[in-house]
Amino acid sequence: MSNATKDPIARGALTHPDVTRLDDVNRDVLKILSAPGKGWWALFGLATAGVGLFLTSWGWQIYRGIGASGLNEPVGWGVYITTFVFWVGIAHSGTLISAILFLFRAPWRQSIYRAAEAMTVFAVMTAGLFPLIHVGRIWHAYWLIPYPNSRFLWPNFKSPLVWDVFAITTYFTVSATFFYLGAIPDIAAARDRATGLRKKLYQLISLGWRGSDQQWHHFGKAYIFLAALATPLVLSVHSVVSWDFAVSIVPGWHTTIFAPYFVAGAIYSGVAMVITLVVPLRKIFGLEAYLTTKHFDAMAKLCLLTSMIVFYAYLSEFFMAWYSGEEIERTAFWNRLFGTYWWATWIMLTCNGFLPVMLWFKRVRYSIPALFVISIFVNIGMWFERYVIVVTSLSHEYEPFAWGIYRPSVTEMGIMVGSFAWFGFWFLLFTRLLPPIAIQELKEVLPPPMRKQKEAH
Amino acid sequence: MRKHWLIGGLAGVFALAGLAFVQGGGSQGGEGAEGPVESGQPIAFPHNQHAGSEPGQNNMDCQFCHFSAERSVDAGIPSVATCWGCHIAIPGTNNPQEVAKIQGYMERDEPIPWVRIYKISDHAHFPHMRHINAGLECQQCHGEVQEMEVLEKADEWWTPAKELFFGQDPVWGGDNMGWCVECHREPDENGEQQASTDCAVCHY
Amino acid sequence: MTDGIKRRDFLKVLGVTGAGATLTGCSEPERLLPYVVAPEEITPGVATWYTTVCDGCSAQCGMWVRTREGRAVKVEGNPNHPVSRGGLCSKGHATLQHLYNPDRFHGPMIREGDRLRQGTWDEAEQQLAAQIGAIGNVMFIGGRVGPSMSNLIDQFVTAIDGTRVQYDAVSDAPLLEAARIAYGEPGLPSYDVGNARLLLSFGNDFIETGSSPVAHNKGLAQMSSVDAAGSKGRFVYLGPRLSTTGLNADEWIPIRPGSEAAVALGMASVIAGDAGAAGPYADVLRSYSPATAAQAAGVSEDAIRELAERFGSDSPTLAMGPSAGGHHRNATAANVAVMILNDVAGNVGRTVHYDANVTAAASAYADMESAVSAMAAGQVGVAMVHGTNPAYSMPAASGFAEAFAQASFKVSFASAMDETAALADLILPDRHFLEAWGDSMPRQGVMALQQPVMQAVPHFDSKQAGDVLLAASAHLGNDLGSATFYEFMRAGHMEMHDASMGDFEVGWRQALREGAVEHEVAATATTQLQAPDVALSFDTPALDQGGDLTLLVHPSPRFGGGEFSNSPWLQELPDPVSKITWHSWLEMNGNTAEQRGIREGDIVTVTSPHGSVDVPVWIYPGIREDAVALAMGGGHTDMGRWANESGVNALGLLPSESEQPSGAMVTLATTVSVTPTGERRRIATIEGSKGDQHDRPIAPAVALADLGHAEEDEEGHGELQELQGVGGFVPVPGDGGAATAFPLEGAQHGPYAESHEIPRWAMAIDLDKCTGCSACVTACQAENNVPWVGEDQIVMGRDMNWVRIERYYEQIDATQAGDLDVRMLPMICQHCGNAPCEPVCPVFATYHTPEGVNAQIYNRCVGTRYCANNCPYKVRVFNWYRYTDENVPDPMNWQWNPDVTVRTNGIMEKCSFCMQRIREVENRAALEDGRGIRDGEIVPACEQSCPAEAIVFGNIRDENSRVSQVVSSERTYRVLDEILNTQPAVHYLKKVTFHEVATGGHE
Repeated sequence: MSNATKDPIARGALTHPDVTRLDDVNRDVLKILSAPGKGWWALFGLATAGVGLFLTSWGWQIYRGIGASGLNEPVGWGVYITTFVFWVGIAHSGTLISAILFLFRAPWRQSIYRAAEAMTVFAVMTAGLFPLIHVGRIWHAYWLIPYPNSRFLWPNFKSPLVWDVFAITTYFTVSATFFYLGAIPDIAAARDRATGLRKKLYQLISLGWRGSDQQWHHFGKAYIFLAALATPLVLSVHSVVSWDFAVSIVPGWHTTIFAPYFVAGAIYSGVAMVITLVVPLRKIFGLEAYLTTKHFDAMAKLCLLTSMIVFYAYLSEFFMAWYSGEEIERTAFWNRLFGTYWWATWIMLTCNGFLPVMLWFKRVRYSIPALFVISIFVNIGMWFERYVIVVTSLSHEYEPFAWGIYRPSVTEMGIMVGSFAWFGFWFLLFTRLLPPIAIQELKEVLPPPMRKQKEAH
Repeated sequence: MRKHWLIGGLAGVFALAGLAFVQGGGSQGGEGAEGPVESGQPIAFPHNQHAGSEPGQNNMDCQFCHFSAERSVDAGIPSVATCWGCHIAIPGTNNPQEVAKIQGYMERDEPIPWVRIYKISDHAHFPHMRHINAGLECQQCHGEVQEMEVLEKADEWWTPAKELFFGQDPVWGGDNMGWCVECHREPDENGEQQASTDCAVCHY
Repeated sequence: MTDGIKRRDFLKVLGVTGAGATLTGCSEPERLLPYVVAPEEITPGVATWYTTVCDGCSAQCGMWVRTREGRAVKVEGNPNHPVSRGGLCSKGHATLQHLYNPDRFHGPMIREGDRLRQGTWDEAEQQLAAQIGAIGNVMFIGGRVGPSMSNLIDQFVTAIDGTRVQYDAVSDAPLLEAARIAYGEPGLPSYDVGNARLLLSFGNDFIETGSSPVAHNKGLAQMSSVDAAGSKGRFVYLGPRLSTTGLNADEWIPIRPGSEAAVALGMASVIAGDAGAAGPYADVLRSYSPATAAQAAGVSEDAIRELAERFGSDSPTLAMGPSAGGHHRNATAANVAVMILNDVAGNVGRTVHYDANVTAAASAYADMESAVSAMAAGQVGVAMVHGTNPAYSMPAASGFAEAFAQASFKVSFASAMDETAALADLILPDRHFLEAWGDSMPRQGVMALQQPVMQAVPHFDSKQAGDVLLAASAHLGNDLGSATFYEFMRAGHMEMHDASMGDFEVGWRQALREGAVEHEVAATATTQLQAPDVALSFDTPALDQGGDLTLLVHPSPRFGGGEFSNSPWLQELPDPVSKITWHSWLEMNGNTAEQRGIREGDIVTVTSPHGSVDVPVWIYPGIREDAVALAMGGGHTDMGRWANESGVNALGLLPSESEQPSGAMVTLATTVSVTPTGERRRIATIEGSKGDQHDRPIAPAVALADLGHAEEDEEGHGELQELQGVGGFVPVPGDGGAATAFPLEGAQHGPYAESHEIPRWAMAIDLDKCTGCSACVTACQAENNVPWVGEDQIVMGRDMNWVRIERYYEQIDATQAGDLDVRMLPMICQHCGNAPCEPVCPVFATYHTPEGVNAQIYNRCVGTRYCANNCPYKVRVFNWYRYTDENVPDPMNWQWNPDVTVRTNGIMEKCSFCMQRIREVENRAALEDGRGIRDGEIVPACEQSCPAEAIVFGNIRDENSRVSQVVSSERTYRVLDEILNTQPAVHYLKKVTFHEVATGGHE
């Protein structure tokens, strides 16, 4: 009885007239994997072109020299590091949603976590390229990896850039494994319907999944184990990335707030990105039944929370700069608000601080178009947050005579834009090759058929 | 088990290859070889004939020709006049036609375009005089040059393998920083490292 | 060829003979080319040094030239030279780039129709002789040359009864004439700047131009440094614009342009009292007073009176009259007025010597004007131009080009193309002075020899002008007594030689070894003021009316009159005043710009009655509101790849007019109107904060009054804060000296364990001596293979210089007389004992050596640029492109230092404390049975070239070393150290001011 009174959706239950039987789910989800429509091809073509831009720009930069970027002294890091941090940030919500929310049994994750995990993997794949892109001599980048060599030399373990190497590679390995493991039963489901080459492929990668309860038993164990393993990474990886800045003495970088600040920011931007991706997914493949406003409401709430944490971090930074009484620190932050790059700072504050206030209103949270727009602005805002941190801090450091201005070059922007295409390229392939929604978990939350008559009257 | 067998086999093959190579290298030239050995040099200069101590060889000191080794970073290549200084009188026993070439360069007032055999990277500085004065023999890095008719760098494609299986250092490892460092690290009589391994000692 | 990092190609080959034949690239075998016959004095890998005389400008400083394998790779100041006494200016260093200038002619060029064809020397000399024989009416136009060359030219010209015209783009004619008028002396006076207690410059930019910039720079530093008695000389600059010289003044009296005479006489009237002292000029003085002076100069009367009183009392004092930048229509009178001032103050024979016969460039522009009219009238058959470039350096209004065209045969001795050579029918490329013989007599009693330090650069088939003249004479059947210029020169010296000077050969060899010989000159009777034999007007001169702003055209500290414009080092050298590279700029006071709604970077049209140019505006608080300034040296049209189309030619705005009576060219002649074009550009400057140090302890100063009894409140001094071990953040008091600050307690293991027993290299820079002349910048660039990057890269903020002279305005007021406080700070890698750059490098490409040097291992660098981000001093520069390959054409790469790795793209670099010089000395010491390194034996390039001797390098662990001595001063501080605890190895000594220090790190 009491169960009945409770809102079934709050428990993650699906109550859609079209979805009553288990194979309805297979039907709806697996039809996505059937022959793609024009829209998909159009997007895919666009993405491929973008990847072309990405590779040509990068190739040109390697051929011509890192000078092809707009970087200079004193601004040695710019759009590349900005975009690197941006993508690492994006990569976070995936694991958060799939691992942490799984451990906390958050009921609304089932429909979105697959897409979120895919996003994570591809985002790390993108982010991982940028440290390579930004170094002056990419052909020697392997020197950052510790391995016994004929020079008797090791990397400098004091340097956060070396920590980065470990953080990114670890995170990629774990999130990729987690993503693949969770997909196995669904791949099997796809295998059963697929034909020809696809079938062969699915047979290969579904590792002979039969769905026997012994297999389910092992699967469950492995999944929760991996979830537990991935959870600390959500916090650690972006903390390490934040230390790239925090361990330096650059005014505007050298602050203890960075680790939590970056993690919150990462989740914030990540969730926003999930919304940006899932909304079209839902529309194009008609998944209204599985991605309900309830889900979006939940994500919006997560956004709202993290946005408040991030905004608090902004404020405390400015306050501390003033409260420290440290003239150089003050100048740096004054310069952020009113200096050469004031516009970037104000874009950041507007998109990440002021705009999300709208999420307090239920109507906004339940309006998918509104969420879509807001999420896009949040993505922009979070990119500019990193831009502000990296560029404005470097442009006005200790030595006034050496202050300088940085203007991104065409090559740089090409690579930055191209990285989005690169990400989209993989994500589009994913929507075609793997069930973008976790079939087996959805089945768990289907109301048992026998309940149906009861609820009928 | 199978693995070990495999490695052993490989080692054997490499060893034989190496041995064959050494033999091959050694068997070339020597006394009274007919005509000069193909050297790739403008003049088939036989180091053994000049610096060798065998009967019939002249046992010259390396620094007679490589004159600045003990006082400069560069060992120095003898000027054409230096060669001619002796060979104006010595027609050469084995290959007079090669010796004659010197006169040609002398008359044309041209330098002899020797092909460079030994070279370390341009970003590493190697002061010869410091090493000579530390009592190193030329042979420790350049090999038994006085026994070579054709000067060859004392490392070959198979030296890494040789090193791997027989644990021997190549004589010449100038392309490999570890080779320099190992020697710098070796303890001197006081048991302290005999030369600095500070990067900026060689790289600046 | 690993990493594309390569030392000079010519290191691979031993000997000059093979230099052309070196092979680069990895595919082909590398060749070793020995000498055919080895020169005695050359050991491969060991530098050979020669002395010679710098022929860059007319100052004739002594020079040491470092050669490797027969190539000149570095020039340095010769401390034994009696005039320049060590040190060398940027221009002197850059002469090396003229030697290897790829735009030099590859042989004699003979005109055929409208193009020049390369010919042989026989051909060329015969043609020259033939034309002279056929046409006659030879006119020889030449710049300042050494005595022997001068004799030769005279003999050559008289033999063919031609005429000789002397012409120097930048000339001291008014000073010369004034000396003649006032004292009847034939030569330029020499100044003893170092001993003056009060130094007045009436628009005289003596550390940039004039008879001996290097010596005067040294003097200025010596004068203004605090002596044992705790006092220092005061330097007052009177003029409408602060030049590099002016920025070093303690006081600036921004007098109206052209009012020097009035002010000088007004002051003299005060000192002379009843004016009896001024001899024949007593009557003149009566009509002047501080009041009249103040009225003429537009400054307060008290300022002038008070200054006059000090000038009378603080003797010895010294005043210098307007130099090339201030040659207005009464420039000679102004110089005479200043001489009167010196005379009444009793400086003659003490700080100013009229009997020295200084032989700097002082030719009269008037001669050139008559030459031009002669040519225009077709009275000149063969016109020969040597060592000067009138087609560029004479105002367009002079009509030189047209007149020159009238000469039926035109000959140029230019070694590289210039505007005049472009018009010539025959070009006989002269040798560079480093390839040629010559001599110099900078002043009476000093004889210096200029000797070839290397074979002529084989790319260029050049021949010394002297030899050409002798050959031509021979062809013409005139025997000048010698076959070669060398013999001619020796013969001449033998003639001059008398027994009192000892054996000739000995003296000759000594001159070659030491660079110069000095014989005492019989002291002449103290000179007396003479009545003027020509009419002098001491009034403020009239200006052509072109607008409401007076135009100040001055020689550039980098390009002089434009003869140095084709050197990329100088193009890239930030101007000592504006910090702008490559292009030209118009200096304008901020208020003036504001009234006109002009912003910095706006391109404006400057229009005078004689022409107009478009040039970007640079806002400068150091110039009067009613004036604008433009430097010479820009806007070449036909000089070379670096000079052409870079900047504008200021001379285009000037009339072609000579001042009377000296006949000097008038540079301060006209007013101009300035109108915005509406276009803007980004200024190619290296300056970030518009000269404001935002009250940060970057370049603090201390008032003279506070010295000695203000130690405890001198921050950055007293107890030195150190880190407690690695990672410990508790500051603990150190024991005063920096010696103990490294290595940090807890870091003392491995190679750092005994580092207390080995030297710790450190540097001290005295900001009270530094004049900001920027010689060290070019010296460093020459020594360390630092490439130039080009204007567009500078605009992007990618300058590569290892030394950056920061210029901060603290107190500067163009509206009234007052204290001036501008701080100059040479910023190099501070070699921090606790360096922020080191821990962040992921691959140990930068780390600390046991000797306390912050080393950068180029071949290990991956290029993450984190070190540069984390460097608070921003001294690290990055190779964004393959500058060293792309920007450096053959044979300029011949100049590269074989002891320093040439960096390729993607690599960070910075000051290395001249590691190669440290190693060189270590090697030498080791060879000399392992003796220790002597103090002062290691001299970094910057220290060597510093004319002001402001830089000292050495082992700070040795308390007797020079650097330890200097650092023990109470003025010592370390930049940003007390904020960041970086514990730099570079120590600065605060500038000492007369006024109370308001700002600059006193927070």
